[in-house]
Amino acid sequence: MAIEQKFSDLINADLDGEISAAEKAELQAFLDENAEGQALHDELASLYSTLEAVEQEEPPTFMRHIIMNSVPPARDTEESPGFLQILLATPALKYAATFAAGVVLALSIVNSDQISNQAFDSVTGLVGTVADPVQANLESSFALNEPDIAGTVSLRSAGSLLILDFDLVSTDYIEIEAAYSDRTIWFNGFAQLESDDTTVSAETGLVRLGMEGKRRYAVYLQNQGGRETTVNLSFKVDGDVVHESELDYAPTD
Amino acid sequence: MSKTDDTKLIERCVHGDREAFEALLVEYEKPVYNAAFRMLNNRDDARDVTQTVFLKVFQNFAQFDPSRRFFSWIYRITLNESINWLGKENRLEPLLHEAADDGKGPDEEVESDRVSAEVQAALMTLSTDYRTVVILKHFLGCSYVEISNILEIPEKTVKSRLYTARQQLRDALSGLN
Repeated sequence: MAIEQKFSDLINADLDGEISAAEKAELQAFLDENAEGQALHDELASLYSTLEAVEQEEPPTFMRHIIMNSVPPARDTEESPGFLQILLATPALKYAATFAAGVVLALSIVNSDQISNQAFDSVTGLVGTVADPVQANLESSFALNEPDIAGTVSLRSAGSLLILDFDLVSTDYIEIEAAYSDRTIWFNGFAQLESDDTTVSAETGLVRLGMEGKRRYAVYLQNQGGRETTVNLSFKVDGDVVHESELDYAPTD
Repeated sequence: MSKTDDTKLIERCVHGDREAFEALLVEYEKPVYNAAFRMLNNRDDARDVTQTVFLKVFQNFAQFDPSRRFFSWIYRITLNESINWLGKENRLEPLLHEAADDGKGPDEEVESDRVSAEVQAALMTLSTDYRTVVILKHFLGCSYVEISNILEIPEKTVKSRLYTARQQLRDALSGLN
């Protein structure tokens, strides 16, 4: 025998928590005398339990950065002049609209043992984004003031992402090596502002960059294990090291 | 987050306040992403849709009706974007659950993943109308009235769709088991 629609509605409303006291009493009286109705109530309650057992998915850790870096900067935010602005008295950096992920991919060499499902998915997503990431913690930084190269390099963290933020100017072509010994860390993306001619290649434990002139760019590393690590940076002109520094990341509990 | 809190943040967002926007992003990125994932059954697509949703929200704050709740607005955009995505891509909806690395132990992971996969597979057998109300009710915790406001359909229709959707879900889950 089919359950009257009214009671079927009350059963659903009861489980949805959208039933009045009077309706609840009426439903209970019905269920006490109707095994079929009680069976339906039990079945639906079981379905509710199953649905409640489904855990929420965590959004990708870098998604917030992508979104925040995709929205226009605040109109009334006064930017403090950066090192390069002071040095060269140039206009504030603006996002390069035409940066192509393909350039990065073409220039990037990644050992097969470093590729993961996430590795280059993120490159496309990170195009157009760069440093000054929102909600990224500044872990360490250093300033360069060499005859050939000057500026700042900082290491930021956001979840499992490590972000190397380069804000540099050089008189000649500079090669930069960012080395890290932890093999659980992998290169996860690159983005740059205003220009598209900084070169980047990556292999296990090492990212190589090439640049000349005024450049602002960021290298994204995936530190899945969230482990303490050190990135050793070496700056070379014509093969000669002109500066070496370390950037440290230590997770906070 | 209360309506008052949302309203204050939105007022600031209208004036281009990125901090206020980020506060909304922190509050809503997870439900938006989850709604998109449950609609699309694909994490990459859910990520793309989530990004689109927040960019649309940012670009259209001036059009937000402050008499409404913010979550109603953003959930509506999310569901519309997800449905558009399904239509645009004309994609086949996969029934297989994607593997997730969420840090759980093997046994716990296996069990929770099994439940999640079965529910997701059952969800994907529903039409988008039915899937939408189930997501709003069971994954976003909306009431009948809130679902009615979000979808702009009568409350009676919400109840009717929910009841039918649950019957279909129950049958689909029984079939999977």
